[in-house]
Amino acid sequence: MILYKLENLQRAHGSRTVLNIDFLEILSNAIYTLIGPNGAGKTTLLKVLAFLDRPSSGRLHFDGQLIRLNEKHLHSLRRRVVLFDQNPILFTGTVRKNVEFGLKVRKVSKEVRKQRTEEMLELVGMENFADSETRGLSGGEIKRVALARALALHPDVLLCDEPTANVDGENQEIILNTLKQINREEKTSIIFSTHYLSQGQRLADHTLLLQNGSLSDLVNENIFRVALSQPKAGKILCKLTEHLSFTLPTERVPSGTDIAKLHIDPQKIVLDPKEKDMAHGTYLNGHIFDLNQEGSRVRVGIDMGVRLTVAFSMEEYRRKQPRLGEKRELFIPYDAIVCTKSDLLQS
Amino acid sequence: MLLDSVQSAFLLLFSFNPELFEIVGVSLKVSFGATLIASIIGIPSGFIIAYSVFPGKRLLLTCLNTLLALPTVVIGLFVYSFISRRGIFGSLDLLYTQKAIIIGQVILIIPVITTLAIAAVSRIDSRYRMTALTLGANRFQMAVVIMKEARYGILAAVIAAYGRVIAEVGISMMLGGNAKGFTRTMTTAMALEYDKGEFVLAVALGITLMTFAFGINMLFHFFQGKTRHDTV
Repeated sequence: MILYKLENLQRAHGSRTVLNIDFLEILSNAIYTLIGPNGAGKTTLLKVLAFLDRPSSGRLHFDGQLIRLNEKHLHSLRRRVVLFDQNPILFTGTVRKNVEFGLKVRKVSKEVRKQRTEEMLELVGMENFADSETRGLSGGEIKRVALARALALHPDVLLCDEPTANVDGENQEIILNTLKQINREEKTSIIFSTHYLSQGQRLADHTLLLQNGSLSDLVNENIFRVALSQPKAGKILCKLTEHLSFTLPTERVPSGTDIAKLHIDPQKIVLDPKEKDMAHGTYLNGHIFDLNQEGSRVRVGIDMGVRLTVAFSMEEYRRKQPRLGEKRELFIPYDAIVCTKSDLLQS
Repeated sequence: MLLDSVQSAFLLLFSFNPELFEIVGVSLKVSFGATLIASIIGIPSGFIIAYSVFPGKRLLLTCLNTLLALPTVVIGLFVYSFISRRGIFGSLDLLYTQKAIIIGQVILIIPVITTLAIAAVSRIDSRYRMTALTLGANRFQMAVVIMKEARYGILAAVIAAYGRVIAEVGISMMLGGNAKGFTRTMTTAMALEYDKGEFVLAVALGITLMTFAFGINMLFHFFQGKTRHDTV
């Protein structure tokens, strides 16, 4: 079932458009991750979805109905959707009063409030802090209380803006496990933003990539800013760093620009190629600095002067057995490279 | 001469002189009434102005800031023109009553409370508003959350306004008329005693007024300090 539908939705601040989505459908009962660099529009999109920010133009549907931007309508919708902020703030008072807040404004009875508050604090491991003042809590504890406060409302949708940012490993695990648990047990739809692709993909059923306010098909890794030279014999030299460059066929490079954005698909990179195929790709060397497993796939971080991620299957991993610190050769086929004229300057 | 007056003033204070206490009582009652009414009007106005976007907001803020420096005699004259016998509200017989003083003082301190309330509310992190709304609060419930978080700043605004009215003389004199036992406040009594060349009561009232002013300022700084501490 479709939960949200966005059509030609834009949000502008003055002359600057911070969000520009042609079309997006979000399904209910699923976990979505929203990935993108700083300033990509993740927080703005979450605020629009939480009915806390109004789009400048376009249409937003929720649960099959077109959203009217009047306060009364938005207020009733906000009672079904909760935004868990990146840097949540707790109201002055005790932890219990904070968790009860949303229930109190909904006029839930005192007994139910007490019971649900205790359940939620237990869920996030903060049951011993119920009567503590919020002033003395650490950053991770504040996030957990804020999560309990949001979950106490049993929302249809939970929107989380970088839920694990600025939180230590232990608190990160608690927060992520809680999100998984409430999605599984209560069928709460979850949309969370993150900088970390691996964390997002580990938890989510669907991945949304935002770049410069628009949805993108490109995965937000292996993106580089390159300086382009003049074409020579049908090829253009792409300079990633002072000491690292390679050539690309002219037709794969946008014309009329000295700077371009380069995306290399991590799944198409070949580790230890058997045969040289200079006509269809380029060869580079680097040291393995990172290895991690994500479900049935392995991601290998390779430092070549810039850090590149290579992804392959477990079977291929067992066959090639990459080890940390080893120097390995890579083959990057031209069809793994997308070179576009863009103002994204992530390097 | 001054030392003699101060000594006699302290003797007067500790003799619990009924006239002195009557004057202090009128002052406190009138100032409290004016501060209460101005707070009821000024605090919600400050909140609405701080959280609303409307054309002319900057102009309104400039006007409010200008009104902070409004001389009490101008307010006295302005209110007098309405409540004097020939004024629009002349039939209400308000002139030379405590109510008349309260009306003038309310006009004097509404800009004080409103501007300080705007400052107090504006200092509150915008995430409080966002959090209250996303947790399902309506506009009124959200306002209560903000007010609660801004309580020390708002209390400081009320105390500052109280300090302003208890020490003013122009409005009390022009609209109250300094009638003994009815509209004689600490400041008008001091002015009268000075005119008569009777310094003892004037100094005793001055000491009382200074004590109040000191106490009010202590409270003001205490709550301002709390506000700063809370926002760290």
